[in-house]
Amino acid sequence: MSARIVAVLNQKGGVGKTTTSVNLTHALAKLGKKITVIDFDPQSHLAVSLGVVDPQKSGIDRVLLEGVSLAQQLISVRKNLNLVVAGPRLQEIEQLMDGGARSGDLLRKALLDGHRDEDFIFIDCPPSSGVLVANALFAADEILVPMTSDYLALQGLSHLMGTIKKFESALKRPYKISLVMSRYIPTRRISKEVLSVIQKYFPGQILATTIRETALLAECPSFGKTIFEYRPGCRSARDFTALAKDFLEGRMM
Amino acid sequence: MAEKDEDSLIGFDPLAWMHRSDFNQDSQRDDVDKLESHAASAFVSENAEVPGQAMNHDEEPTIASESFPSEQGERAILVLEPVLNIQNVALLHQRLTQMLSNFEAIDIDASGVMMIDTATLQLLLILKQTAIGLQKSISIDFPSDKFIEASELLGIAEMLEVDQVASGFF
Ligand SMILES: Nc1ncnc2c1ncn2[C@@H]1O[C@H](COP(=O)(O)OP(=O)(O)O)[C@@H](O)[C@H]1O
Ligand SMILES: [Mg+2]
Repeated sequence: MSARIVAVLNQKGGVGKTTTSVNLTHALAKLGKKITVIDFDPQSHLAVSLGVVDPQKSGIDRVLLEGVSLAQQLISVRKNLNLVVAGPRLQEIEQLMDGGARSGDLLRKALLDGHRDEDFIFIDCPPSSGVLVANALFAADEILVPMTSDYLALQGLSHLMGTIKKFESALKRPYKISLVMSRYIPTRRISKEVLSVIQKYFPGQILATTIRETALLAECPSFGKTIFEYRPGCRSARDFTALAKDFLEGRMM
Repeated sequence: MAEKDEDSLIGFDPLAWMHRSDFNQDSQRDDVDKLESHAASAFVSENAEVPGQAMNHDEEPTIASESFPSEQGERAILVLEPVLNIQNVALLHQRLTQMLSNFEAIDIDASGVMMIDTATLQLLLILKQTAIGLQKSISIDFPSDKFIEASELLGIAEMLEVDQVASGFF
């Protein structure tokens, strides 16, 4: 069995990539799926959000730079949920311009080897479109795009789709692309309008549940807790459980 | 493809390059508009006569609620109906009082409220204060524009903690 590799991607910062990576993976893990989540952002926000704070600990950086096996870098952070931290040297990859084509293919190769038993590997991407994102796109089968519902996010989405299409034609394979409306503010009119524009271009590709903006979701990273630990049963926890089911069952808007 | 709706908040559509074919996206939108104008005309109408079709409360008006004996059995969630008026205030009262005695905290989801009258708002205010007295809490989540507008008109938005400042970003 091979894992589905999902890149959580949007070059715009602050759209909810890390929040989605943390809480969707924990929701899936709670539903019994075996997950590995890779913190692919040198800022290490994913690890921090999961309560792993040692900045010196190596992770995916050594896998890519030194060929250490992924299995060796797995940290079991929750039941069914393994984390690979970014590591202090991940930033160096972003500067690996001279390696040419090969520097883009490091992650894909690293994920090929080994016989692990995950159902899913999630990659929490950095907010950029450099070498790291190229690596994520080489490696991924699927792309999950967290989207906020404001105008500049639409602009960003346009740019992102341009990048993705370039990769699709270079790699000669289409990605499965899905979107999740994150940080959704239902009381704003612009939210609905942006959503309806997105629905027009991505019919059947937006996960059915929207993740709303709530204070609790903004609070939990500082405690290193997922929403399921910070406030079990709250609305945002239920949003993420519903989102996980949408994701597994392909339930779209 | 330019947006034709003059009222739209989206000017230039940056995704237009993705395809040129027109999609039929307007049906949903129309529904929303219809609802909005309907609610606007009926908004905080004191005269009990509410325009027909949208609400169909022949018998018992239902107020959706889900209790979450969330892991510690202390939070409950109540989802408010789109139209709240004097006819269902008694039921809502009963519901909330019961929840308040069984749970430590109640989250009221007010995102779907299209019309709310002063009786309902007063009820919410009183219960919120009762809750404080009991060292419990009632919070109003995701208040819709209509909800905020109505509570501001009545001058109790701040007490209900749904004023613009509080609700914009929570
Ligand atoms: N649904 C939400 N409600 C409230 N705050 C959110 C929500 N999603 C994200 N945030 C907050 O917004 C900020 C940016 O989110 P994050 O997930 O780190 O975005 P990204 O990884 O795309 O940069 C963080 O402080 C996060 O806690
Ligand atoms: Mg992030």
